[in-house]
Amino acid sequence: MTNKTKGIMGNSSETIRDLDNSFIADNYRGGIVLNTGAADDQIELAESACPTKALTSAKGDYKDLQVDHGKCIMCGYCSEIAPKLIKMKNKPDNPTQTKSRLIEQLVPQVQSSESYEQIGIALKNKIHKMFGRSLAIRQIDAGSCNGCEIEITALNNPIYDIERFGIHFVASPRHADVLLVTGPASRNMEIALKRAFEATPNPKIVIAVGACACSGGIFGDTYATTGGIDKIVPVDVYIPGCPPRPQSLISGLFLAIDKK
Amino acid sequence: MTIIYLEKYKKEVIEKFGDKINRTEENNNEIHFILRNINDIPLICDYVCNSLGTRLTTIICTDERKIRNGFVIRYVFGKENREDVFIFVTALVNQDKLSFPSIALQIPAAFLYEREIKDMFGLIPVGNPDTRPLALHNWPENTFPLRKEFDLNTKETRQEKQYSFLKVEGEGICEIPVGPIHAGIIEPGHFRFSILGENIINLETRLGYTHKGIEKLAESMKLEDALLLSERIAGDESVANSTAYCQAIEKIARTKIPKRAENIRTIFGELERLYNHIGTLAGISTDAGFPFGAARLNILKERLMQLNESSSGSRLLFGVNRIGGVRCDISDENRKVIINTLDRVSHDFEKVIAFLKAKSSLMDRLKDTGKIQRKIAQELGVVGVIARSSGIDIDTRRDHPYASYFSHNHRTPQQLAEEQIEMEKRSGDVLARFELRVKEVRNSMTIIEESLNLASDGMFTNPPELIMPYGSALGYSESHRGQTIHWIMMGENNSIFRYKIRTASFCNWPMIEHAILNDIVPDFPLVNKSLDLSYTGNDL
Repeated sequence: MTNKTKGIMGNSSETIRDLDNSFIADNYRGGIVLNTGAADDQIELAESACPTKALTSAKGDYKDLQVDHGKCIMCGYCSEIAPKLIKMKNKPDNPTQTKSRLIEQLVPQVQSSESYEQIGIALKNKIHKMFGRSLAIRQIDAGSCNGCEIEITALNNPIYDIERFGIHFVASPRHADVLLVTGPASRNMEIALKRAFEATPNPKIVIAVGACACSGGIFGDTYATTGGIDKIVPVDVYIPGCPPRPQSLISGLFLAIDKK
Repeated sequence: MTIIYLEKYKKEVIEKFGDKINRTEENNNEIHFILRNINDIPLICDYVCNSLGTRLTTIICTDERKIRNGFVIRYVFGKENREDVFIFVTALVNQDKLSFPSIALQIPAAFLYEREIKDMFGLIPVGNPDTRPLALHNWPENTFPLRKEFDLNTKETRQEKQYSFLKVEGEGICEIPVGPIHAGIIEPGHFRFSILGENIINLETRLGYTHKGIEKLAESMKLEDALLLSERIAGDESVANSTAYCQAIEKIARTKIPKRAENIRTIFGELERLYNHIGTLAGISTDAGFPFGAARLNILKERLMQLNESSSGSRLLFGVNRIGGVRCDISDENRKVIINTLDRVSHDFEKVIAFLKAKSSLMDRLKDTGKIQRKIAQELGVVGVIARSSGIDIDTRRDHPYASYFSHNHRTPQQLAEEQIEMEKRSGDVLARFELRVKEVRNSMTIIEESLNLASDGMFTNPPELIMPYGSALGYSESHRGQTIHWIMMGENNSIFRYKIRTASFCNWPMIEHAILNDIVPDFPLVNKSLDLSYTGNDL
């Protein structure tokens, strides 16, 4: 029996503290990478396999094949049908400050190799410098499937324990610095989201969490959805992923604070 | 066995209503009675539900004006006592008339379905006392999303409309409106409490805020893409929903999936139940004001989510299923990881639960809070943990076995009797739901262990290139919330003609209005969490 097992009821710490502990499985579907120099004949296959049209190529040529990470829902269909061209990676996609930067064209993104812990500590310092106090987050579900909520809730569990970096979730937008918004912005939530945004005091940061919030994701832009949070309120940071794992959420927060 | 029961019910219904039934059809474990006249619906549904001892499973409306000159309504009733039979009562609504008789007075569970049909198809349920809109808020008159002529991408302009809540009036009575945005990290919905002092004397819920048009969207999708959509009906029920979806397609295509795939579906289905049940137990502990227990249970939940990730590539088990089998295999190495992790989790889980049960302040808080009366639960057609915790003995895994649940259903007569006695004792309060979840966690671990002896006959069978147009079938599974029902009718060229989804939450939401009565306002989060309802699964 390990010490951990003994400690579940005691006071031993389960919180991740070091690099070895930041768990990520080898087969985790974190996003897609384009394989340079692959055969052009697979481009069309991959394009048609994508359910959210995240992969597009105007001329059917490798050179202008682009991936919109804000649309990708990590289903892996493209890598199954065109394994030479596209591979799944286990590192999550990076959050970005503009929507256009979610689109990757030929040049691969530089992957952040920092652990949850490292980003967290840097974030804590940043928050302290800027606010001299802790950071208050209000989470708003604008029609998500509850997947993103599960990951956001996980930030509060003893493993990720986001409160130790001086970040806490509050019950009202009036108390918040950051709005963490999920979902493709269902039309029934439009008014509520707008009002919550207006109720948040300035300076405020809006973070779109997950593929749905970035682009509408699999729910797209239909009679019942609006196709992304930025159609309703201005967004400062986009966190791709379906759903983004806790590590991505915290790097998104870091990026948001960095911007202000 | 199923065939014998099918014949039995067919005979019984035809003997009684032979002149009212046009023809009958059989399809797997479904028997369809197609009526001559729509006005006979209440009579026959009442007989099927109340005399044959079935429960209303779902009501499906389809726009078949192109094929049959009208809308078709299918009332589905399920036998929930190991007989594995679904009875369909089908009637055609003439396209000139656009109304159908309501059965809500005989079968109260039907009232929400009828409101939904009115919203989505514009058919008026004559006799249903409540015809307020359900999922379409401030929606213009005379546009109905699920009619075939409605384009998916239409952007209707909103209209200012007032939704009328039930008014409770009297001295000292006031209203508390809550939502749609709530205080926690939770989905949106509106609650209207009428209170006298601290006591809740009425609660009305208004949902639909997360309506994403999933059913309409599926009609424009390829089969593989709709599978991804079904996983995202509710992120925490991804395996249950995608299993039900795949099953429905497999039944229409008459594809038999390999034994190994059945085992793997069972394993992932139970892994999903495990992490969600533990999460709910943690939530109950938080909402009862005992965060220590929640913290410990959340550690276990996180370990299980990491197990999900290492065995399926997704922390929420997305991408497990495919039509005809599974996409993700369980290797020998994964098997070891699953066994080891479950071993550790189970060991710690027992310790935490023993600790929680020894806290009299916590147990006191759970006891007699949010009590559900069996009769009301029965009438509203409640399913899953909520039904079982108030003594209604239903479980889709047992009553309509799917995946490899056939092999986990053996009970000795003594075990059966013991289960029966235990079922009778369940009182329907928060504590009963707490205890039942603990029991189901243990049970799931056993099922996973039993299923890990995987057969070696491959991961999937390819379905035929072209699936029969206008074939239809029911797919079902038991999510951690309860019975999940998907009904699919195929269109031409492998498209989906109609995808009707009914998750457990749709049946269970009306229950909260009754469970909370006479409790105090601070009990609401606790009762709500113990019922574990999904907003998105309800709103679609």
